[in-house]
Amino acid sequence: MALLLILLVVATGFVNPNILRFKSLVEILNASLTLVLIALGEMFVIFTRGIDVSVGAATGLAAVILGTTLNLGWPVGLAILAALSTGVLAGAVNAFGVTFLRVPPIIMTLGTLGIYRGLMRIITGGSWIENLPQSIKDPNLWGFLGVPFFVWATFLVLAVTAWTTLRFRPARFFYAVGDNEQGAYVLGLPVRATQFVAYTLAGLFAALAAVVYTSQIGFVSMNAADGYELKAIAANVLGGVSLTGGAGTPLGAAVGALFMTAVHSMLIFLGVPGIWDNAFAGLILLLVVYADYRLRRALELQRRQARILGEGGGSGG
Amino acid sequence: MREGRWASVTPLLELEGVWKVFSGVPVLKGVRFSLEPGEIHALLGGNGSGKSTLMKIIAGVYAMDAGTMRFKGASVRVDSPSAAHALGIYMVPQEPHIFPHLSLLENLGMGLPYGAKELSDRVRPVMEALEFHADLFEPAAFLSIAQQQLLEIVRGLLREASVLIFDEPTSALTFREAEHLFERMRRLAREGIGIVFISHRLGEVMEVADRVSVLRDGVMVLEGPTEALTPHDLVRAMLPEATDVPVEPTERRGTTGSDPVLEVRGLSSEAFRDANFRLYPGEVLGVAGLVGSGRTELAEAIAGLDPHARGEVRVGGVPLRRLGPAESQRRGLVYVPEDRHAHGIFLELASLYTMTASILPELGRVFLSTAKEAAVGRRFVDSLNIKLHSLWQPAGTLSGGNQQKVVLAKALATRPRVIILDEPTRGIDASARRDVYRLIRALAEQGVGVLLISSELEEVVELSDRVLVMHKGRILGMLEGEAITLERVTEASFGNRGVSA
Amino acid sequence: MARFWKSWEFALLGLLVLEILVLGAVNSTFYDPENLFYSTLDFMHILFAALPLTLVIITAGIDISGVSVMGLASITLGLVWVAGVNVFVAAGAALLVGVLAGLLNGVFVAKTDVNPLVVTLGTLFMYAGLAQGLPSLLDLLGFKAYGSEGLAAYQYEGITGLPDSFIALTEGTVGIVPYPLILVLFFALALGLLLHRTRFGRYLYLIGVNPEAARYSGIPIVRTLVIAYVLSGFGAALAGVMLTSYMTSARADLGGDALLPIITAVVLGGADILGGSGTILGTLLAGLLLGFLRQGLLALGVTNDLIQVVIGGLLIAAMAAKQLLSRWGERRLNRRALSASQRG
Repeated sequence: MALLLILLVVATGFVNPNILRFKSLVEILNASLTLVLIALGEMFVIFTRGIDVSVGAATGLAAVILGTTLNLGWPVGLAILAALSTGVLAGAVNAFGVTFLRVPPIIMTLGTLGIYRGLMRIITGGSWIENLPQSIKDPNLWGFLGVPFFVWATFLVLAVTAWTTLRFRPARFFYAVGDNEQGAYVLGLPVRATQFVAYTLAGLFAALAAVVYTSQIGFVSMNAADGYELKAIAANVLGGVSLTGGAGTPLGAAVGALFMTAVHSMLIFLGVPGIWDNAFAGLILLLVVYADYRLRRALELQRRQARILGEGGGSGG
Repeated sequence: MREGRWASVTPLLELEGVWKVFSGVPVLKGVRFSLEPGEIHALLGGNGSGKSTLMKIIAGVYAMDAGTMRFKGASVRVDSPSAAHALGIYMVPQEPHIFPHLSLLENLGMGLPYGAKELSDRVRPVMEALEFHADLFEPAAFLSIAQQQLLEIVRGLLREASVLIFDEPTSALTFREAEHLFERMRRLAREGIGIVFISHRLGEVMEVADRVSVLRDGVMVLEGPTEALTPHDLVRAMLPEATDVPVEPTERRGTTGSDPVLEVRGLSSEAFRDANFRLYPGEVLGVAGLVGSGRTELAEAIAGLDPHARGEVRVGGVPLRRLGPAESQRRGLVYVPEDRHAHGIFLELASLYTMTASILPELGRVFLSTAKEAAVGRRFVDSLNIKLHSLWQPAGTLSGGNQQKVVLAKALATRPRVIILDEPTRGIDASARRDVYRLIRALAEQGVGVLLISSELEEVVELSDRVLVMHKGRILGMLEGEAITLERVTEASFGNRGVSA
Repeated sequence: MARFWKSWEFALLGLLVLEILVLGAVNSTFYDPENLFYSTLDFMHILFAALPLTLVIITAGIDISGVSVMGLASITLGLVWVAGVNVFVAAGAALLVGVLAGLLNGVFVAKTDVNPLVVTLGTLFMYAGLAQGLPSLLDLLGFKAYGSEGLAAYQYEGITGLPDSFIALTEGTVGIVPYPLILVLFFALALGLLLHRTRFGRYLYLIGVNPEAARYSGIPIVRTLVIAYVLSGFGAALAGVMLTSYMTSARADLGGDALLPIITAVVLGGADILGGSGTILGTLLAGLLLGFLRQGLLALGVTNDLIQVVIGGLLIAAMAAKQLLSRWGERRLNRRALSASQRG
């Protein structure tokens, strides 16, 4: 996948060399941050073989809370805390529904999608939250080595996540629960707790994304982060995180998110009007999963041929 | 060795009056069971007797509906596997639970507090002792069934448990691997660990167990030290009627001069090579062989389920294009799969719907005729002696034997000329088994060609007119007439040539 | 037939009646049948899309692209008409677009092992994007002459000025029953017959309960799945056409956020999201239930946003209740069997 990304950039570069400038590349990185964070949160849920279609709404809700509290005069730190709590709460509600009420994840999160979007509009009263204090927009302007602060911060989050899923043993529970839930239960793994944490994390990451989003855009519309959940799922799928659970890496999810954002930027550089964004995103998703399917089939065929041509057939005792 | 038993110590486990009900059907009815430290206790029972259920209750996977359980004298409630693990009770399940995307090493260590290095240090000697050779870092999806079973056994051996339960641990293992396992079990018993060992192989039980308990229909019917019991006692306890069933002697039919109804030439695929044989109408051709010899793969290829197979298959002289089961059925060939739950039956739907699943086009051109469908169902309920109170009750509420009959009905409804039965009597009770045997004979008499794949060699020997033996993917040879004996078939399954071709 | 009284559908019917009574008590216009029927126009598109979606969900699949297909169908209708074609033929073209959209979904799902959620997620984006960009695309392809300033102008405004004969589709009535409602009922009848009385319908259930067993039994899986998704696409296109007539304007974003109500209708109607069960009647009743609920709340002055919250909560509550009920039922069954056996 990462290869594809690089290929994409290079290809566009041929048409419009401006894209290959460091500044442009950094711009793309910057623009992808929100999606990367949301995708990372979604990743945990998908690991456990679940799905969360409300993460975009959770991000929006957290952003609305952030904006509202800031405008009420709350100090930045406290406002951010409020936003994060909102995200965690939103995720926890999903977690509760899925693990305790045993509502299928797609239904539960579809329901909370409606609820959170509705809440967003109710709280904002249908208008935009503007005139946010500078304190929240400032971090957007900080930079180090020409790279914006948020990019570094997100990178740090990504690194921590990647390290944790690889090295921290309980993190492997996500994979186990998704790969074989019954097996995990019989082995004594804390299945419900793992699932609960997954959905709650999704909410937390959504809130993190909300902070970045608000800071970057500077205001919160009532349609904030609309449709991001679907893009986050697509990002995960593109990045190799299987919807049937048990496989994938944070890096993959992040690259997938980057890819989706990059496509958008590519189109701009190629002079294609933004209206075609969705069409290309969808087409690419379809092409990628189709290619993945063919690849897997070819590999399997290869293995079978090798076995036939190898010893005279017969595997196992 | 049976010495070294720890006398006059509180039993590790004591269960009294255990009841368990599933979907309105009592599976365990007031069972008592006990386990002493350092004892190897075998649990026997036919299919559906409840032995797995009882063990799952002990291991925390199920909760008992009534009854008490004491562990080391103290009353306990084990309501989850982790609660069981905390007490030191661990069960090695019958069906392996694999995490296909994770490596073998991770699979082994899941749930254990060891880091990667310490884990592999602990794992390697255990695997060596069992002669389990596999790459620790490959994803577990690539393991064979036997390897998966060994994986589960290693998991059990890695745990510091005071009670270890093995549920049918040897069903996919070779004799050598089983022997290694028993050696380990004896060693653990000597250290004071209590072991429960579920099996249906009397030989193993008599060899390894100190005490035996027999469960039948959810009730404990026999319990005592193995020294005091004979295999016959055990068989009679498990199936009181079956031992006295008069087996009608089959006359072996020689192949008459008629044309073969099924011809297989040079069929090859991943799991088997170069299959060649003929099946004649009215003949029962048994296919014997060990697990993994390729029999099911051969059958699936014949039926058109394997798109990668090469070679020729002819039904009634007409070559099959092997496009799929639909085409095969149109030509008169039907395959009854080995794993009825996964491939044969629609548990949540009406039993009738499974029966008619393959012949729906015959029930009406545009709209389905309920009358015709019900008639089909009633026909098979009668002819196959299926016990149900309504054609529309969900197939999942039927017993294993009746479920198998429903799957057979589905196949028979296609009016086949050739029927391939893959392990048709697996997991069904004795009377259903007899019904299936009667069916096979009746089919043969009607001129249907029957290909019977079975791991129950007695069954193969009893029913077949000729026997094909497969070993590691190749057909070793054909046994005919007088040559069909249990010894010859068994030996041939293990690859001993000396079987006439 | 005795089973009907205990069935989910009967419960829905009861709830529907109850709902109308309650709504009427609050706002007496609901007791006027003509008014009641007229209000269905506001949510008929949900029904058109949800009814065939039931078929897809029974196969353990899902189709979330319906919303985009609605918009695509609508804009297609508009553009084709602007090009000078008879409006009803244009409507036919729109329906064809729906069929093709469903065809792509169906073939992809049936022939690859890719998760239907992912497939229809991709087509959701693709069809939406196509709908949005279609006007400019056609301009580029040389059809510019058809619009006064080129077709691209319609991108944001939508296409208006549709002929009265077309608008009449959603204005006319037979007695007090509006045309669209009659169409919905016919559609439901047709789909119901298809599902419950033909082998195609039976195949849907078999595939949903056990796809592997279906394969081994010789069931034509590819053909069945493709037809199911085609019907889903067709339903969405039909919804789009009807909406266009009702709104008197062809727009690419007509679908809006109908996804939640559509899926809620199917799930509330008794279909198991994991496949194997569901009925057309259930979806129809649930759709009416939800639709009238929305109308009632609107009449009470409740805002659209709060309604969304209510529907979301309803979906969750319904599922949770279903789970709880089945678990309690199982427990009661077992307890009774236990005491019976212990005594016996």
